[in-house]
Amino acid sequence: MDNELFMNTQLHPPPEIAAHFEQPSSSSTMLNWSLMDPNLTQHSPTQDYFSWRKSTELQQKQSIFDSALSCGGGDGFIIRELIGKLGNSSATPNRTTPLTEFSGDPGFAERAARFSCFGSRSFNGRTNSSLPVNNNGKIVNSVKLTRVSSTPALNGLVSPMVPAGEISRKRKHLTKVKSKETPLPTVSPAPSFSKTAEGKGGKRRRQDEEKEDNTKGPEPPKDYIHVRARRGQATDSHSLAERVRREKIGERMKLLEDLVPGCNKVTGKALMLDEIINYVQSLQRQVEFLSMKLSSVNDTRLDFNVDALVSKDVMIPSSSNRLHEAGLQAESLSHHSYNNNSQLHTNVSSSNMMLPSPVNSVETSTLASSFTHLPTLTQFTDSISQYQIFSQEDLQSIVGMGVAHNPNHESQNMKIEL
Amino acid sequence: MASADKPINTDVPEKDVFTLHFLQSLSNLRRQNTFNSPEKTNDRVKKIKKAAYVSMARAAGGTNRLWSRALLRRAAKENSKVVRFPRRKKRVTCLRRRRSNRRDPVEEEEAERLRNLVPGGGGMETSKLMEETAHYIKCLSMQVKVMQCLVDGLAPK
Repeated sequence: MDNELFMNTQLHPPPEIAAHFEQPSSSSTMLNWSLMDPNLTQHSPTQDYFSWRKSTELQQKQSIFDSALSCGGGDGFIIRELIGKLGNSSATPNRTTPLTEFSGDPGFAERAARFSCFGSRSFNGRTNSSLPVNNNGKIVNSVKLTRVSSTPALNGLVSPMVPAGEISRKRKHLTKVKSKETPLPTVSPAPSFSKTAEGKGGKRRRQDEEKEDNTKGPEPPKDYIHVRARRGQATDSHSLAERVRREKIGERMKLLEDLVPGCNKVTGKALMLDEIINYVQSLQRQVEFLSMKLSSVNDTRLDFNVDALVSKDVMIPSSSNRLHEAGLQAESLSHHSYNNNSQLHTNVSSSNMMLPSPVNSVETSTLASSFTHLPTLTQFTDSISQYQIFSQEDLQSIVGMGVAHNPNHESQNMKIEL
Repeated sequence: MASADKPINTDVPEKDVFTLHFLQSLSNLRRQNTFNSPEKTNDRVKKIKKAAYVSMARAAGGTNRLWSRALLRRAAKENSKVVRFPRRKKRVTCLRRRRSNRRDPVEEEEAERLRNLVPGGGGMETSKLMEETAHYIKCLSMQVKVMQCLVDGLAPK
């Protein structure tokens, strides 16, 4: 019957898994039988038989796990169901020993953990896709439904697998493009065991078809994010959301990569983040270091800064029109600054020193005119408050004007004058 | 709810904007009487540093950026000033909803460190944190350039 399941899914399970199922044929048949009706106590096997079955099943599981992991989780949900069924079947006849065996098998728990940490969205999604894909709560309920006779211990064992899939689920309200939610509720897991396998096979079939359908079809316009599930990936809303989130983060990581120098060689999120963190820390340390330097240097020079700045602030709004008209002339910087030197007082000259080396071009034609109209300092200081908010263009022109007087080769002259 | 794929905006104003703000703040500092006392260099350094950050935050976009807002709020709190920011309802609701979203044990350890570094990082989702980090890095580097030029200009060798 498990083989039937495989056939139904149109998947092509790797021969390993099929082989595993075929080899211990007796156990598989017993498995089938137990699946059909685990509640039949009259067929409860003896302890010996049961433990033997357990061991073979565990071996099966081991191999299944390994092969599943190796083949990329393609059959993960099948295996998970099997394990669930194994767990169920074991639960009924003899409550204590098989459970302890299950829970006590460190390999199994470890493998379950491996499944949960398998990490790929597709796997997580696929483990959930075998169950109805509506909500968190519904999936959990359905899982528990299929394990009618499960005991708390078994629940504890199964639960690491269930929340493993749920970890990736998000509570985003993503609408899905496909209307797969409508057919799925009709296939909600039947409480009886006999139907679960078939139901799941049917579900799987339907989901495969839906997955294929998902690659076609237009996107309805809505307010929400529209994510199309790629073929062969999860169609669960939560795993979709997870994937969207991961893509977003990846996109931003690329952005950051461009900003942070030396990140090209580094690959992987963790190392990249380390690089970014180091870079931010180094920048902050630089700021601190420079502020220390500034504090030691600042005493006398800073006064002139203020005044010069203020003067420019005052000038700019009045001459903004002229500034905009004049346009930017970077080449004539040197000439005009030489011309203006004679007119400039220490205020401006010191301000030249202060301002950074020119990056922007300057409206030089207006410079001369503006600086000949220098009002007194007191007026400037009063007017500072008026000009707290500058538009971008004003600011550019302000600094640009200062920059005009500070080409690199002239800064030396300025300093000498002071 | 995030709309799909708005282009991420990490534009940063030009260097002159930063310069202006920084110089203004320095001048304000200058006017304080306690500033010029030769002792207490540490205080001065701290003040300059704070002025640098605050001016950077203002230059970079004021209250439009999460990190700058957090920075300004922090600075205002230290001065026991009350800062009023324009109310942004969208952000508040997003905060409540998003807190459940950003859990991912693999990334969160590193994101935690980043959160500690970037001002205001604690309240952000990881993808938003990345955006803010990018902008923050740009602004920081700009500020560093400005300060470097200042220092070079002021203290010739």
